[in-house]
Amino acid sequence: MNSKPIYINGLGSISIQQPLSFEGIQQPLSYQTPHVRCVEPNYKDFFDAVQARRLSKIIKRAIVTAKQAVDDSGISMPDAIVTGTGLGCVEDTEKFLDAMIRNEEKFLQPTFFIQSTHNTISSQIAIHMNCKGYNNTYIHRGVSFENALLDAYLLFQRGTIRTALVTGNDEMTPNYFILLGRIGYWKQAIQNTRTCITQEQSKGSFAGEGSVSIMFSDTPSSKSYACLNRMSLLYKPVKPMQQIIREFVADCGLNIDDIDVCMTGMNADTENDAVYNSVLQDLFSPNEIGTYKHICGEYYTSLSYGMLLSAYCIQQGIVPAHCILGGVEKSGVKHILLYNHFRNRDHSLMLLSTC
Amino acid sequence: MDQLIEQLKKEIIEVLNLEDITPADIDSNAALFGDGLGLDSIDALELIVLMEKNYGIKLQDANQGRDIFKSIQTMAEYISKHRTI
Amino acid sequence: MALDVYITGMGIVSGIGIGVDQTLVSLREQKSGIQPLKHLQTIHDLPCAEVDLSEDQMRELLNIPADEVVTRTALMAMLATREALQQARLTMDGTYRVAFIHGTTVGGMEKSEVYYFDFLQNDLHNEFIEAHDCGACTEKIADYFGGFSFVSTPSTACSSAANACILGANLLEAGIVDIAVVGGSECITKFHLNGFKSLMILDSQPCRPFDETRAGLNLGEGAAFIVMESKAHAAKRGVAPLCRLSGYGNACDAYHQTASSPEGQGAFLAMNAALEMSNLQPADVSYINAHGTGTPNNDESEGQAIVRVFGNNPPHVSSTKSLTGHTTSAAGGVEAVISILALQHKFVPANCNFTTQMQSLPFTPVINVLHDIPVQHVLSNSFGFGGNNTSLIFSNVQ
Repeated sequence: MNSKPIYINGLGSISIQQPLSFEGIQQPLSYQTPHVRCVEPNYKDFFDAVQARRLSKIIKRAIVTAKQAVDDSGISMPDAIVTGTGLGCVEDTEKFLDAMIRNEEKFLQPTFFIQSTHNTISSQIAIHMNCKGYNNTYIHRGVSFENALLDAYLLFQRGTIRTALVTGNDEMTPNYFILLGRIGYWKQAIQNTRTCITQEQSKGSFAGEGSVSIMFSDTPSSKSYACLNRMSLLYKPVKPMQQIIREFVADCGLNIDDIDVCMTGMNADTENDAVYNSVLQDLFSPNEIGTYKHICGEYYTSLSYGMLLSAYCIQQGIVPAHCILGGVEKSGVKHILLYNHFRNRDHSLMLLSTC
Repeated sequence: MDQLIEQLKKEIIEVLNLEDITPADIDSNAALFGDGLGLDSIDALELIVLMEKNYGIKLQDANQGRDIFKSIQTMAEYISKHRTI
Repeated sequence: MALDVYITGMGIVSGIGIGVDQTLVSLREQKSGIQPLKHLQTIHDLPCAEVDLSEDQMRELLNIPADEVVTRTALMAMLATREALQQARLTMDGTYRVAFIHGTTVGGMEKSEVYYFDFLQNDLHNEFIEAHDCGACTEKIADYFGGFSFVSTPSTACSSAANACILGANLLEAGIVDIAVVGGSECITKFHLNGFKSLMILDSQPCRPFDETRAGLNLGEGAAFIVMESKAHAAKRGVAPLCRLSGYGNACDAYHQTASSPEGQGAFLAMNAALEMSNLQPADVSYINAHGTGTPNNDESEGQAIVRVFGNNPPHVSSTKSLTGHTTSAAGGVEAVISILALQHKFVPANCNFTTQMQSLPFTPVINVLHDIPVQHVLSNSFGFGGNNTSLIFSNVQ
């Protein structure tokens, strides 16, 4: 496929780092618990009481980061809004489910049901912006964000849209943390999230959550952080991933040596990280392999944070030392290859470059 | 009636999740919907659940709510007449 | 830019039949699947259109052992997908790059609503924690057949399967895959039955779309998938297309979380976008398979949008939800199959239970099946919560 690059012209995030800022990329907060919740901004600056009444935390976060990304880009209204979310609005889903079981299907509050559908996030963003354009939502485990981005990317390639707001949103409630803990998602304890990928390899990761909004455009601007050259999603690839990565980079008109950093979804879980190590060992040295989940934590759409971080690093030309597996800061950064996998079944590749 | 009105205001604030609004902020005779407090059709459904759960009043048709929920005053009058709990 | 997307296979299970043949008979004979609940355990006495198979019966049809963790949503999807692949004469042997795109919303909720407290308190039903996930459900279905190189799960409530068609078309157009199998699946759960009940939009009688006396919807369940590929690719495989997808539109009403705007702005934009992509004039459309849930709000809003696009004398309009119930996330797939059957067999399905003309609309839906009439282009509407509006246009290939 011949592909046209699209440009990242606006960014917004609320995460387990300082909200609405890039501080977490420079100086990440570290935590000593495997379940870390977002650092929230003061939502009263954004919503009055009547507006806020039916907005759960995840929706407030999404609307606020969407506004930040749109304002940052200088584009007043996106042509499309596409959201990736692994779990959707868990908090309200749990409230409705819990009440339904406890009250034996009586006295159920509609608000929690309405908010339980995954696409509530994307439509609430649209309602708040009065955006009547294309609107879609993808919910596919650890590759939900790249599914949403691919949807927008294809519309750009067709020329159907010229701008798109693509968002990644997930929340990790105490109950869902317990559920996923039962099936091996989390470590029992953690000494230091900031260094866990190199220091605390064991079963499980640590849970984060967050909202990232990214404004894409088919034209660069003075605001552009980076451009997305190409992307590819694969399910259970038959060919070895090394070969697929080489071909992907070649399709971008580059050599493996041109890639400054391969940004991975390593998360301190032995099984997860082993996949990256084995695929990348002949392609990149530890000083060319990047990580971001020590900053944002593990959640289904954490790649959205990885993309925000990579775009910011390309604009700055530097990937800080704590984001490099080998521990050495990388400067003169022009090309970052984002490689993500979920359980070695779903894989995604995206190339971000200077504009 | 005054006691019921006060209680209703508290219940409405809780069930509609109106953070930072106090009972004193709600005028008993002001419109709950539209230009008044600014509530909408989903809030009306929440108020129907509230009446069933707390006062044993069951509405079959959401449209009945239109007259009952004009203001806190009209709602209190309806409840005092029809309550079973 | 015109779409080069042809449909070469389809499969369906719903309250009106297991498979395309039974579905066609039910549509032609106006046999409704809306009945008292039989499979779902609930305190509510509400008519619904259930798929008349137990999970054990579905397992048997699919040769899936009793101890394998598969949800009802996945089982229904497997049945529909198998039929679609067979009709398209597609063997999943890795010859082609094939996408599987599955629109769903409730995922494995049918088990989670039973085991939720166990999930929190003990390890007795951990296998269903994973199965709760919608993406896991999609992969379970894909893995039953094997050989899919791309999987995805769009979820926009009641327009999910229609949006799956859009992604499939765009993947084909971009040359990322050779074939896309797209659609949706959703079983009735206590969760969304109670959810719709809390919104007070479930009718305790059979639903009456586009009727002045309409009082809400009936839930249905089902799965439906279609196989899409380019004209040249179908020719290369020696498979004759059933019809083509000539256009799509997706727009957001951006009005309210559940209610549609009175003038149906999102629906208006979606239908216009689909017409524009198809290069069709409103008068070219033979039949509109409406979203038509039977709620006072939807039918008013959709009706106004139809009048705005098509004028006071629109093409034939019917809502087949009066037969299948509202199959929520699967509706876009179920109604795509119904639209294709109308094209193939030259008939217009009926909008059942209609008695009273809506005062606010100038048109009347199709009350009885229209047999032996030319059907050239069918527009199918699917609208979801949050004003997520999608329109698809299917066209004859002659």
